[in-house]
Amino acid sequence: MKKGYVQVTDSYERIIHWTMAISCLLLCLTGLGMMFQSFNFIGYLFGGLKNLKLVHNFTGLIFAVSLLMAIRMWWKEAGVFVFPEDMDWIRAAGGYLWHVDKVPETGKYNPGQKAFFLVVAVFGVIMIITGLIMWFPTALPVALVRWMYPLHVLGFVAIFTFFFVHLYLGTIGNPGSVQAMFSGWMDKKVLTMLHPKWVKEMEHEGKLVAWGEEKKSDAHGHSA
Amino acid sequence: MSTKPELVKLIDTTLCTACRGCQVACKQWNEMPGLRTKQVGTYQNPPDLQWNTWTLMRFQEYRDDDGKFQWLFRKDGCMHCTDAACVKVCPSGALYHTPLKTVGIRRDKCIGCKECIAACPFDVPRHDAATDKVYKCDLCYSRIEQSVPPACVKSCITKALTIGPKDAMIKKAYARVAELGGDANVYGDKFVGGTHVIYVLQYKPEVYDELPVNPKVPLSVIVWKDLLKPLSLLTAGAAAAGVFIHYITHGPKTPHDDGQEQKGGE
Repeated sequence: MKKGYVQVTDSYERIIHWTMAISCLLLCLTGLGMMFQSFNFIGYLFGGLKNLKLVHNFTGLIFAVSLLMAIRMWWKEAGVFVFPEDMDWIRAAGGYLWHVDKVPETGKYNPGQKAFFLVVAVFGVIMIITGLIMWFPTALPVALVRWMYPLHVLGFVAIFTFFFVHLYLGTIGNPGSVQAMFSGWMDKKVLTMLHPKWVKEMEHEGKLVAWGEEKKSDAHGHSA
Repeated sequence: MSTKPELVKLIDTTLCTACRGCQVACKQWNEMPGLRTKQVGTYQNPPDLQWNTWTLMRFQEYRDDDGKFQWLFRKDGCMHCTDAACVKVCPSGALYHTPLKTVGIRRDKCIGCKECIAACPFDVPRHDAATDKVYKCDLCYSRIEQSVPPACVKSCITKALTIGPKDAMIKKAYARVAELGGDANVYGDKFVGGTHVIYVLQYKPEVYDELPVNPKVPLSVIVWKDLLKPLSLLTAGAAAAGVFIHYITHGPKTPHDDGQEQKGGE
């Protein structure tokens, strides 16, 4: 780390994020191995398709726990749209798609980030419910169980598609932002560009933690 | 192998005496154990299809419109659909269409996901917890590929069970129905692409226990396999391509030296 960096996440947030991210990707990989017979070869990585199914099911439990913790942790900040400022940002597409002189300022999370969070939260919960029923399909009426499968795939369609956008915008699409999920510190310049209003808020409330002048406080209120 | 004709097994319920020879022969040929059951006041035993009982004689007490009592016998089991929902949903290729167009099962490939159980319009596949695998009739594939009739057909003493080339058997079924008259009908040739097990029924299908009147591949299976499954790769591929194009045309967001926001080259 170096001068000019500010803290944007605490370790609790990063642990939840990566538990969820890694379990989610493992679920996508193993799920694809069962969804397409042409991807059955993924089963070899796990010692056969039957083991792959087991890995998928139990990874689902880890994903479920991390997702519920993430929803509890991020719902207030990322689960609720704030109007009209979020609408202004959406109208400008966050400045990502066409030239915008000044991207409308939003709070800690912009509507794009909120949209991804909501997609993962809503479809993630659908994945957990449908997945559990698919694990024990003979326990419920068949007319109900039958619709769990397309719903489970619908959740995959939504989450897997948004994943690529999230990966891009969190890494090479916004250079410097990926550090938020590794070290937890970001260049204040980058942060001010991406989240100007949040920086102002934190400065105003005296919550901005800058490198070299840490106040040993719980900066974001996410301590476990 | 490809020279062999598409086979259909005909079950003429009007000739059946419910001797259950087929049920026993099936277990014998397939080396399936008999498990202890309880007598619950019917000859129907076991009460339903089981992982170890691939064909079951159903006994049904029926009073027709004239108040005449009749005992209906129906041999239940896999119908070997042409449009088999179980084959469509099976993730591992354990369930498959044999060259004879019947639905075979490669048990070594089965991962016990039970997706076929939810998909089957006839409620046929059964799961065994001990082996975590699914079981069902495979129309004695090891026999019919050698041009030997299935064990059930071989054991049938009244010729209620016969097997032969599809067209000939359907013709035979309709001839029998014409002979019987009344509500008699052929069941199986008109749905799920035509089944490879068909019934001659004395009464309308709705009369019979556990027999769907209009079986079809569930809509959920079509939405799942024909729509959402290809869509998943399409949308994910579009998203991956989209962000790549964004990167090479629009470029990343980087801060200006004076702290003002600026976009990458366009």
